[in-house]
Amino acid sequence: MLHSEIVIVGCGNPLFGDDGFGPAVIEEMEKLELPDNVTIQDGGAGAPHFIFNFLDPAVTKKLIVVDIADFNAKPGSISRIAGNDLKPGAYVDPHSWDGVDQLCRIKEKIDTTLVMCQPTKVIDKGDAEVDMELSEAVRNAVPKAIQVILETIGVDYGTTINLQERRQPAETCGKAR
Amino acid sequence: MSKVVEISPTTRHEGHSKLTLKVNDQGIIETGNWCSITPVRGVEKLAVGKTPEQVPKIASRVCGICPIAHNLAATEAMEASIKCEIPKDALMLRHILQLANRLHSIALHDILILPDLYLPGTEVKINPFTAEEPVRTVAKRIQRLREIGQTIGQIAAGDCIHPRNTRVGGMYRNVSEQAKTKMYDLAKEGLPLAKAQMDLMIAILRNYQAREHVDVGGMKVALPKTLGYHNQGYLATHAFYGSSSMDECPSWDIRRFKEVRPWDWYMGEMEVSLEEPRYPIGGTTKMGTKVNPQMEACTGIPMYDGQPVEVGPRARLAVYKGYDEKGTVGQNIAREMEYTDCFYEMFDCLEELNTAGKVVADYIPDGDGTLGWASNEAPRGTDVHLARVKDWKVQYFSMLVPTTWNFATCSAALQGAPWQLAEVIMRGYDPCVSCATHMIVLDEDNKVVAQKLIQ
Repeated sequence: MLHSEIVIVGCGNPLFGDDGFGPAVIEEMEKLELPDNVTIQDGGAGAPHFIFNFLDPAVTKKLIVVDIADFNAKPGSISRIAGNDLKPGAYVDPHSWDGVDQLCRIKEKIDTTLVMCQPTKVIDKGDAEVDMELSEAVRNAVPKAIQVILETIGVDYGTTINLQERRQPAETCGKAR
Repeated sequence: MSKVVEISPTTRHEGHSKLTLKVNDQGIIETGNWCSITPVRGVEKLAVGKTPEQVPKIASRVCGICPIAHNLAATEAMEASIKCEIPKDALMLRHILQLANRLHSIALHDILILPDLYLPGTEVKINPFTAEEPVRTVAKRIQRLREIGQTIGQIAAGDCIHPRNTRVGGMYRNVSEQAKTKMYDLAKEGLPLAKAQMDLMIAILRNYQAREHVDVGGMKVALPKTLGYHNQGYLATHAFYGSSSMDECPSWDIRRFKEVRPWDWYMGEMEVSLEEPRYPIGGTTKMGTKVNPQMEACTGIPMYDGQPVEVGPRARLAVYKGYDEKGTVGQNIAREMEYTDCFYEMFDCLEELNTAGKVVADYIPDGDGTLGWASNEAPRGTDVHLARVKDWKVQYFSMLVPTTWNFATCSAALQGAPWQLAEVIMRGYDPCVSCATHMIVLDEDNKVVAQKLIQ
């Protein structure tokens, strides 16, 4: 895979409200000028089997996972957890690999950090409600999470907007969208 | 006298589903119901009023396994509705992405079915996670094939999970000549691995097929020669990619499609009267538990010409290449046969791809409300998306997803098999249940009758 020394993965599904926090952070970070040794990826609901599964410790030395978690704090609070504090869960089904299980395997070989946000409403597995909006508290926590991530990867000031790589419709396109 | 046994939840596939089985005194399935118990998402409702650029991104989030197929099918349904033809090089990039995704998916499926199968010449079932040889070498090869698929997808589409290079009207960017060479090199590395993996899996599957008995949780179960047979017919819309034109693809005609209510198809309320604590993992449902597949099923039943049909690798090979092996083993072998085809087709696409060619259509219309459809031959089968776009707003969107087609077909294929092998039959379809769970149900007059479930 085209991973680098530092990999930042946003996990979650934007169809389930605050669960979209990880992808929202990645979307925002795409606007930043980041060092060449940093890869950022929207892991969606597939990070355990599409990303964590393929990390090569010979290449990737640091992994940062951005997600929501219920840690009994005020909605929008950001918490940074070291991978070594994770406890393994039960292995049930390889097609829905539990992310924590995978991280527990990786943390020995790759320096792993989790940047977690307390959601306004905790989303249970099997929740049927579809809501594409982040709650206000969680939306407001995106910049703070990015600051924590930048600090973790040692980028002092990474908030410069990347004007060169802004995505534009091709010039041949009839109409700008 | 018939007994009722339930396996819930089923394992080694994506999503949540269960098997409710009415069996005879010998444990042979008389009626089998395989149904989704993943909650209905209502994504189709969410899409209404959004722009055609937003909806493929929403569609790709219905599942963690199949975002690429949904992204491509939704994008092309929008293009079909607004009548936008994309440049050839954009199509080549999409095709490469789709083949890379299929390659990864076949390799993943190998991991999921290996624990049901035996090391040839032994009584040992295969644990793909063991550190012991010869399985370790096979596991590493599977992992490398997955990695090759994901990397090629990442190069073609900017991201290997939720592709960001695709857009209505084509692709955002073409790839560089260097990126094309990298994809070529990866495909060249992958082809011999895929050939070796295909040969091995076919040998393992043939060995399984030749057995008289298999072990399930310590139970010795007779293996029928007709495991997983059905007579429901096949649906495929393209040998590899997909289509959005009736002229190009006469095998998919929306007028021949209808989706009916699960409560007309599945069994009603019953009580579990057979319990087997030895069944992996954790035994079957407790005796006396009330079950009601009619009310618990979370999908409609799609019909083509009034019957459920099978979609997937075997359907593609049967429709386009004359493949005719029935049953679960035949189905798994068909999937393995697509391994090398992925690479051969990828070489053709890479040869066709001009990295200096344009990848966005010259003109992208706003849409006049015409109903457009696009089928994409996803790893698990025909994924058809329907869309109506007017003035750059989506008025209607629907997803007919592979596993939805296969629920009723697999239910028919369960009949005549020992109940302990029901999951083996189900895994032959490589189910992806989350994707399948969308409820737009029509009655005899094509009126929507299950709106309440999705509002």
